[in-house]
Amino acid sequence: MHIPDGFLSTPVWGTLDLVSAPAVAWVARRAQRDTQDHRIPLLGVMGAFVFAAQMINFPVGPGTSGHLVGGALLAIVLGPAAASLVMVAILALQALIFQDGGVLALGANVFNMALAGVAAGYLPYRLWEGASRSGAIFAAGAFSVITSACLALGQLMISGVPMAGGVLWASLALFLASALMEGAITVAAVRAIERLNPAWIGGPRPASSRALAAVAMTALVMVVVGTLVASAAPDGIQRLTEQGLAADWSQRTVGGVAGLGLIVALCYLGGKLISRRRSA
Amino acid sequence: MHHLVIDRWSRGSSPLHQRDPRAKLAALLVFLIALSTTPPAAQAAFVAYAILLIVAANLARLPIRGLAGRAALVLPFSATFALLTWWSGDSLRALGLAEKSFLSGMAALLLVGTTPLTGWTAALESWHAPRMLILVIQFVYRYLFVIAEQAQRMRWAALSRRGSRKRSRRVSFQFSAAAGLVGVLFARSWQRADGIYHAMLARGFRGRFVPAAPPPFQTSDALFFSACLAGCLAIRLLL
Repeated sequence: MHIPDGFLSTPVWGTLDLVSAPAVAWVARRAQRDTQDHRIPLLGVMGAFVFAAQMINFPVGPGTSGHLVGGALLAIVLGPAAASLVMVAILALQALIFQDGGVLALGANVFNMALAGVAAGYLPYRLWEGASRSGAIFAAGAFSVITSACLALGQLMISGVPMAGGVLWASLALFLASALMEGAITVAAVRAIERLNPAWIGGPRPASSRALAAVAMTALVMVVVGTLVASAAPDGIQRLTEQGLAADWSQRTVGGVAGLGLIVALCYLGGKLISRRRSA
Repeated sequence: MHHLVIDRWSRGSSPLHQRDPRAKLAALLVFLIALSTTPPAAQAAFVAYAILLIVAANLARLPIRGLAGRAALVLPFSATFALLTWWSGDSLRALGLAEKSFLSGMAALLLVGTTPLTGWTAALESWHAPRMLILVIQFVYRYLFVIAEQAQRMRWAALSRRGSRKRSRRVSFQFSAAAGLVGVLFARSWQRADGIYHAMLARGFRGRFVPAAPPPFQTSDALFFSACLAGCLAIRLLL
């Protein structure tokens, strides 16, 4: 979810720009240190590859399809620092040239997708690769998407963009669905790449310990949960305790699922209409 | 897919094209900050911002309709949230959200429509953006359309190969076919990156890039930036 300009309040985008700028400088320095000369063009071409791979549709059910988001795949192939840098480059180009995400909001989008999103796509892979490879790759894809989406949602809510109960639950359900989809697509893509040449996956092995990765993972989860809780706190939690949790929750869930169903149905009909017009 | 319209726009020769990219980038930031801090109640200010952008687009001899059409790409996202806001009873704020995101998009397009990629990346570099990031941005942009065209061709080929037999209609079959496409696209991209590196070596690449010296910042550039600053401040503070 790319946040455009005008949605975040000044303290939110200002803080995230101030946080992201030095973080990107640090990531760039690390990427430069880890990347040999002959891999410099590779970083750029992999960025272009992620752009292009998003054009390939993965059917997931009747009338619905998803596409690769790519943060986790990049992290697995290039290692975390280089993958973050490539994502920053993609986000900068999207903001300026493709009107996808704002320029002032670039710090927020970089934080959500290039820093937290790539870290969330790398850590599960690094932690659980030994236990179950497919499971680790699935978790990487899913966790990467859900982290970026929840952070963006939290930032929008902190900025005061109102989310009525049903909408909030619908978007969380939507995020979960797209996270599971990204997990499945990442596993399938990694398997397909490995069939062609196993040496491409794996990338440079960092020297840092697993314990550090576990700590980083915990910190990341806490940041995501904290952002959501903090953004919902002013009225959400108060209202929940006032009105009794269960009734309210079930009402919201029903509203959310109904809204989600409506959106899916509309998208399905729209897709049918467009494809019929194309083929006519 | 044809070469991007913005690339063609950015090679013009209007007064705005000739300004230093640093001045234009700074002016963009000033405009965006002024716009972003304008309260939604100040509707007159939004009209003034729009007029400012239209004047700039005229100065740059860029088609207003083309600019607006491309900036409208933000509308699906912002209209959704604007509708939600309107729904929760804050119609003025809803309008503000849509206006702000649209005008911000227009302003960013004006920058890239009058400045080639090498121009604004050079400006970023002179502000000490990491060299490695600039390189990656340039490489991504350079190969974006090459690889996207390849993906498009592969998609068409896969669609025309796909029969109407029952097996090929199964979702799981199509899913793994799409994964195969991504795999092959990855392989071709990887090989292309190798080829690019060899070409760089053949042209005398010695392991480091030598950035071109930026052109001097002229009085006219300073005047342009001051005019933008004054205009934005006036709109923000007076209206």
